[in-house]
Amino acid sequence: MADPELFELSIAEAGRKLRDGTVTSAALTEDALARIAAVDPKLNSFITVTSDRARADAAAADAAFAEGIDKGPMQGVPYALKDIYDTAGIRSTCHSKLRVDHVPAVDSVVETKFKAQGAVLLGKLATHEFALGGPSFDLPFPPARNPWNYAHIPGGSSSGSGAAVAAGLVRMAMGSDTGGSIRGPAAYCGTIGLKPTYGLVSRRGVFPLSTTLDHCGPLSWTVEDCAITLQTIAGYDALDPASVDIPIPNYLDGLDRGVEGLRIGLPRHFFAKAEDVSPEVIAAIDRAVATLTKLGADVEEITLPDYDLFNACGRIIMYAEAYAIHEQDFQTRPLDFGLLTYLRMTLGAFVTATDLHQAMRLRRELSHAVNLKFKTYDALITASALVPAPAFADLPRDAPPTMPVQTMPFNITGNPAMSIPTGFSSSGLPLSMQIVGRAFDEKTVLRIGAAFAGATGLSKRRPALVS
Amino acid sequence: MPETPDEAALALEFNVLAKRAGLNIPEDRKAVLFEGFKDLRRMSALMRQPRSAADEPAPTFSILSVTRGL
Repeated sequence: MADPELFELSIAEAGRKLRDGTVTSAALTEDALARIAAVDPKLNSFITVTSDRARADAAAADAAFAEGIDKGPMQGVPYALKDIYDTAGIRSTCHSKLRVDHVPAVDSVVETKFKAQGAVLLGKLATHEFALGGPSFDLPFPPARNPWNYAHIPGGSSSGSGAAVAAGLVRMAMGSDTGGSIRGPAAYCGTIGLKPTYGLVSRRGVFPLSTTLDHCGPLSWTVEDCAITLQTIAGYDALDPASVDIPIPNYLDGLDRGVEGLRIGLPRHFFAKAEDVSPEVIAAIDRAVATLTKLGADVEEITLPDYDLFNACGRIIMYAEAYAIHEQDFQTRPLDFGLLTYLRMTLGAFVTATDLHQAMRLRRELSHAVNLKFKTYDALITASALVPAPAFADLPRDAPPTMPVQTMPFNITGNPAMSIPTGFSSSGLPLSMQIVGRAFDEKTVLRIGAAFAGATGLSKRRPALVS
Repeated sequence: MPETPDEAALALEFNVLAKRAGLNIPEDRKAVLFEGFKDLRRMSALMRQPRSAADEPAPTFSILSVTRGL
């Protein structure tokens, strides 16, 4: 096994060591590659490990440091990408038979930003097929597993991203989130997972699932690393129709300000009244409320529209938009999709134009209702997942599983939302909650997350990685 | 809210919409897909709530977002 200490360095800590010369990018990279080789055969988080590229990136970063060149906080830091992000010259499969040999000629915008800072690409990560269908056993690559217990799922669709970060194979991995695909894996794997505001991070070069709901964002072990990553990837892209041209703040500035005086709304009915919610999830959020209150925040219970309305609205939109993207393949080679993808995505063929329009009208109402709360509150907190990560054995293999997560509302509204660990279940699996902010106010979300994580110290506990 | 059709009517609707979409659904997948379709119909009905004609959809895209990259 590789050096047991290097992988535990955060991006911020590794960055300081890279700059004071006490560690090299080559050492971080070799440690990560050795750890991937040792751990990933059971975890299945990587589809492609880009060892040669990683070593070349690391050598270039070390050479830059030696010459006094500093391109930014990701210089020399290993990272990985969900395999729906285009990487020039490196296959980008979407975990699907339909794109198993697809090698893009051009990088996704996010990848260009990491490249520009001299970061080190370790590889491409497992996902649910086309960020929708899974966990599946009939695809070209096996499903990723949960490093806290390999018999359990890591969540999806950014399954490899959550698993790889939690297992300490990489400090930060990019995911995408259409109905919770960053926050779900973050919740099940006990990592930080941020879905930024719609329009803040370019989606160009990332294979779409549902264009009006898709968001790109990081999964990381610490809130600070999440902020560093967001600083790297946020920004206007004229060629992404959803991109918004706004000034990008310094996300690290004020991260340690605490929560004193902040007003936080708690739509407790969302999760407390949900069918099949785990009492452990509720208890952990109640403890989180007590912690935030003790830190000086004013947490008040609020009411939002019924969760079922958010869920219906989001699913109708997602099915319709996803099916439209894949319509031709569904008509000509439908059986090349994995079974679960087929069964979920085909539903888009049954959504009528009126259904979709009604969903978009409801979307406006729901967005209005949520954003009205932000006139009073600085942030909201609610559940991410309603239960700890389910076991593979408890999921049907011939029908789409129902994932008990409550993340869709903020894909509909576009508000930033971050999943953060709140504790552990009696079975040793992570529990979590979401922190939701005003549009483009990631700073407050990160600030609350940093204060809460600092108070709980939950990031000190790592998976034992035992079968 | 419209009345929920019975099982036979839903099955007919399912088959017509599949045909309209150009889908040839394998027999061994029809039953599971039909269950998904019924859930979709439930969600579709749930969204039908009183609204005025002035209630516009979201997001409302700006023409600038279409032309700015040209």
